[in-house]
Amino acid sequence: MKEQPHRLKWHILFVITIFALAAAVYSASQTINYNWQWHRVLPYIVDTSPVDIIAQGDGSASINNSSLTITYDNGEPDRVISNADTLLVSDGDIIFEGDLLARQESVRMGVLIEGLLTTLEISVISLFFSLFIGLVAALMRISNNPFSKNLSLLYVEVIRGTPLLVQIFIVYFFLGTVFDLERFTAGIVALSVFTGAYVAEILRSGIQSISPGQMEAARSLGMTYPKAMMYVILPQAFKRTLPPMASQLINLIKDSSLVSVISITDLTKAGREVVSGSFATFEVWFTVAALYLLLTSTLSWAIQRIEKRLANNG
Amino acid sequence: MVNTYKGHDMVVTANVDKIYPNNCHALKKVTTNIKRGEVVVIIGPSGSGKSTFLRTLNQLETITDGDIIVDGVNMYDDRTNINKLRENVGMVFQSFNLFPHLTVKENVMLAPLKVSKLPKSEVDAEAQTLLKRVGLAEKMDVYPAQLSGGQQQRVAIARALAMKPDMMLFDEPTSALDPEMVGEVLDVMKSLAAEGMTMIVVTHEMGFANEVADRVLFMEDGSLLVDDIPENIFGTVANHPRLQKFLSNIL
Ligand SMILES: Nc1ncnc2c1ncn2[C@@H]1O[C@H](COP(=O)(O)OP(=O)(O)OP(=O)(O)O)[C@@H](O)[C@H]1O
Ligand SMILES: [Mg+2]
Repeated sequence: MKEQPHRLKWHILFVITIFALAAAVYSASQTINYNWQWHRVLPYIVDTSPVDIIAQGDGSASINNSSLTITYDNGEPDRVISNADTLLVSDGDIIFEGDLLARQESVRMGVLIEGLLTTLEISVISLFFSLFIGLVAALMRISNNPFSKNLSLLYVEVIRGTPLLVQIFIVYFFLGTVFDLERFTAGIVALSVFTGAYVAEILRSGIQSISPGQMEAARSLGMTYPKAMMYVILPQAFKRTLPPMASQLINLIKDSSLVSVISITDLTKAGREVVSGSFATFEVWFTVAALYLLLTSTLSWAIQRIEKRLANNG
Repeated sequence: MVNTYKGHDMVVTANVDKIYPNNCHALKKVTTNIKRGEVVVIIGPSGSGKSTFLRTLNQLETITDGDIIVDGVNMYDDRTNINKLRENVGMVFQSFNLFPHLTVKENVMLAPLKVSKLPKSEVDAEAQTLLKRVGLAEKMDVYPAQLSGGQQQRVAIARALAMKPDMMLFDEPTSALDPEMVGEVLDVMKSLAAEGMTMIVVTHEMGFANEVADRVLFMEDGSLLVDDIPENIFGTVANHPRLQKFLSNIL
């Protein structure tokens, strides 16, 4: 326990450094007279602005027990508004199309949280597809068949040798036009194919790190090659590849920010939109970064849990 | 060309040649036959082709030339299902090769469940019986990494037996073991032999060969040089100069 005071000193230094960094950021913003307004970000996280209720045609209003009834002149069925928080017309008023009738309090997800959910959705779907593509490509790569081996090699080399941004454009503008893909689908295809190539390499090296004796033992028991893979080799390979797989899947979340270039309103695109509306540039981007960190750290926590559970055996 | 062999011999090999891709000529015209219930021990210096020969008998290695007939089935006939054939031929490796991600009992149960597709309750009961038999009833639910080498090898034998094979191949099953654990594995093998299992054993345990083997094969440089009963191999009569030299080096 002699080490303890020594370690405490370093912890204190760490905390001081973090504060110094925060102070540096603050004073840097002072030199350009930046006015921090964190409260401006809040509406983009939780949207509490009231919802306006607008008249859809000409008619007249009648109020009964704080319930507003609009009778339209053109004979359309009456509109009853009973749950409004503030009524902006009085009993007997003549109403014209487009008039503001009432306001309703509401709590909705802000634009940034909607973006976060889009990012999460794209990432989760791409995660499953990339694991599938990666597994198939890895199995093709280690097979003895020159056709599947070369096909897999070509796929991995082409994908790893070109930028993701270019791939997204190619999928969106070329494949998207030819196969009439929605932008959301195009984004998922590009991300899955891209990440799949890296997953394939990780899985391939994982499978090849398992001693050949495992395959021999499985085959000597009468298992077919696919069964031996499924029950003996892959479970061990998956366990070994968890750490590199975790960082690749975290990359997937971060890489998904690039789909904002094809106008998918993910977290990054939402950030760009909010910046132009709120004039709180720094605050918004710091918030966006924090939200990404929330996703990635949740994922890495989850994978660590899996790793711990698997570490108990074997 | 023989297609099926209508005898009662468990294994017939005829002029088996094996040349590895690196041009290493590991087996040269190996011809022998092994009867049902026979225990055959293969001895010979390192690199003489003992493992290669054993592994050709369940096609972990393919051969370059010759014929292998196992239980009446020509291994290189197009109609032969090699997986079916392997179900009937158990193998025990020098390095155990237990599945580290499965418990001891799961190791024994895997092939009967996934290959033979037997009901789980039946497979479970059978696995327990086998593990009791090799003296590991207490260790069913632990992982292989928590076992000693001798215990792991006994699990490996139980795992092979779970497929109810007609023949067992052993490739130096005690060579990776500490000396004090050799006995427990040899005892299990002796009891198998006593029950009439057909066994082909590559080993350096000359005591086991002398005591248990019906026949001893001596290989050198890819060739089967001597094929005789243990009395003649280990007896005082100098019957083969190369065998004499090998035995005097090892004993
Ligand atoms: N996979 C392989 N590729 C190329 N050559 C091989 C391979 N396996 C074995 N050999 C060679 O074939 C010959 C026979 O090897 P084998 O392993 O059958 O010998 P062994 O009698 O079992 O030896 P040991 O007692 O050391 O186990 C050796 O010269 C060896 O180098
Ligand atoms: Mg060997």
